[in-house]
Amino acid sequence: MKQDSAIQVWGLSKSYRIGHRKERTLGGSLAGGLRKLLSTDREYELFWALSDIDLEVSRGQVLGIIGRNGAGKTTLLKLLSRITYPTRGHFSIHGRVASLLEVGTGFHPELSGRENIFLNGTILGMSRAEIRRKFDEIVDFSGVEQFLDTPVKRYSSGMYVRLAFAVAAHLEPEVLIVDEVLAVGDAAFQRKCLGKMGEVARMGRTVLFVSHNMGAVAQLCERVVLLEAGRIVADGATEEAISRYLSLSEIPGNGYIHRHGNRKVEFLSWELSHPELGPLTEFRMGDDLLICMRIRFNEKVDDLDLGLSLRNASGERITHLLNHDEGLRLSGMPGDEVLVKVQLPEVFLAPGRYAWSAGLEKFAEDFDVIEDALGFSMVQGGRPSRTTIYPGNVRVYLPGRWRAER
Amino acid sequence: MGIKRTIKVEAGRWPLLAGLREIAEYRDLLWVLAYRDYRVRYAQTYLGFAWALLQPLAMLVVFILVFSKAAGIATGSIPYPLYAMAGMTAWSYFAFVLGQSGNSIISAQGMIQKIYFPRLIIPLSKAIVGLVDFAISLLLILAMMLWYGFPFSANLWAFPFFLLVTLISSLGMGIWMSALTIRYRDLQHVIPFMVQFGLFLTPAAYPAEMVVSRLPEWGVVLYYLNPMAGAVEGFRWSLLGGAPPASYAWISYLTMGFVFVAGLYWFRRMERTMADIV
Repeated sequence: MKQDSAIQVWGLSKSYRIGHRKERTLGGSLAGGLRKLLSTDREYELFWALSDIDLEVSRGQVLGIIGRNGAGKTTLLKLLSRITYPTRGHFSIHGRVASLLEVGTGFHPELSGRENIFLNGTILGMSRAEIRRKFDEIVDFSGVEQFLDTPVKRYSSGMYVRLAFAVAAHLEPEVLIVDEVLAVGDAAFQRKCLGKMGEVARMGRTVLFVSHNMGAVAQLCERVVLLEAGRIVADGATEEAISRYLSLSEIPGNGYIHRHGNRKVEFLSWELSHPELGPLTEFRMGDDLLICMRIRFNEKVDDLDLGLSLRNASGERITHLLNHDEGLRLSGMPGDEVLVKVQLPEVFLAPGRYAWSAGLEKFAEDFDVIEDALGFSMVQGGRPSRTTIYPGNVRVYLPGRWRAER
Repeated sequence: MGIKRTIKVEAGRWPLLAGLREIAEYRDLLWVLAYRDYRVRYAQTYLGFAWALLQPLAMLVVFILVFSKAAGIATGSIPYPLYAMAGMTAWSYFAFVLGQSGNSIISAQGMIQKIYFPRLIIPLSKAIVGLVDFAISLLLILAMMLWYGFPFSANLWAFPFFLLVTLISSLGMGIWMSALTIRYRDLQHVIPFMVQFGLFLTPAAYPAEMVVSRLPEWGVVLYYLNPMAGAVEGFRWSLLGGAPPASYAWISYLTMGFVFVAGLYWFRRMERTMADIV
């Protein structure tokens, strides 16, 4: 065991049984037991949420854990927090650990703010004496002192979250394990939380931080581990791991939902990519987008319209682009193939899911229209250095030149 | 703060005793959870804490009407209300712990899936909350003894022992049921029945001799498999005197030991998978 390591993990694996639920009832268990006696075939499958994780985190290091949903990030945190128990492998953690998988664990709606501070603080591992010592600070940080003796069920959700986070922020562990709990509250509060996290990190504590917010990861972490399908696929410098994560996103297939038209002119292929990173489905704000479409003329068509329409996850049309907008004319004879490339510099859409639809048409005649041909998502962590979540309903970011004059 | 310690977790290793030692480290959490349950119990009720007094008194009135007046059960030199109150005190504690523990792990699932702590804290905290009502009932017994001018029995030296038997039976059963219920949710429906039947199958409101003298031997053995049968008898005998526990009572004490050890063992076995199952 090395002196300077805070966390050491050897071959950690976790499997879950899936598709075997009958055991939950007494009758089912009796029947299942009988069946097991009579035959040897198993009714369940094993799903490896995490396999063979080796990891060493040195003392004072701030490690980010990223990966797509289902990659095993939360399972890893739950194992290291001892909430769940490994199927194989072992690990050791040196020093006082606190894990924050949620803010406000154990809060009871009937109890007052004051009582909940003690309740939640104790649940997070503080002693009562410690809470008493930090009580004023916690109350100050939360900004709910007027309502300290009101049951928290009468709190607004904002107050509730602020109180909950205030307790968590005053933990003083040597090793802090944090899940995406910072994505709560309003922007000002998020900034406060993130500031507190940074403070914790600067104080030489070891931090494990799981997030989808690449901006926060880039700002806080010095090292990043990328998980994919329960394994570590990258481990190293933050920038590298983040771009690896972005390029891991699946390459778009021809996964459109609806396509129609008479195919006098048709799309042969279509692809969304990053000019340097190649085909992508996940972009950071401010990235360039490159759309490449190969079209074939099956009949002679003069001056057709190639339209690109962008919708967001709620189906709202964000923009519509036409070849004529930028002065490109498309005409062809039967058998002609043309590769159309559209480069969109510095796209500043708000974080979220989007899809491009593409259409070839002239007047009211649809030649080939593909709805939602190219899906992608926009994530934070590019040019705007904001690390908090954007408020709801934000559609775009407008890059500007800010300066202060006196 | 400043406690340097190392956490080691290894698949397949789950030491029984180390886990028990940990409870001591988490005693603050144990108290806080018990306090929460106690505070929440009578929150927003009109009578508030008075319920803790009203419930046993109402029960006592029913006992007096049914067993003493209607059935005419004789309890020797001990006034029936006092006799029933002593039996009921021990039994009610058991019933409370059993009833509260059964669901306890399931209702704490929010915590269990988000944070680590020795899970045993949860049924333990229920057993502590029950002590409040238990203490109030004990005070009621004292008040009634004063009222009747009834002295403590000469067997009072044995009271701590039977108190322990009562607590351990209740805790053991509570621990076991809380662990069993997460896997076999059917027990959520069985436990209320156990509590209801148990009241009649335990010599709380009537003397055990009535059963011992009227049942065949195998029936009596079965009757004493109820860990509370022996506990209630001993509890009352040590306080008020009267007939000592029947010779069959050792079956109860053995059952108690078994329930406690098996409950702990089973709980520890289930503990590591609780977050996955709940």
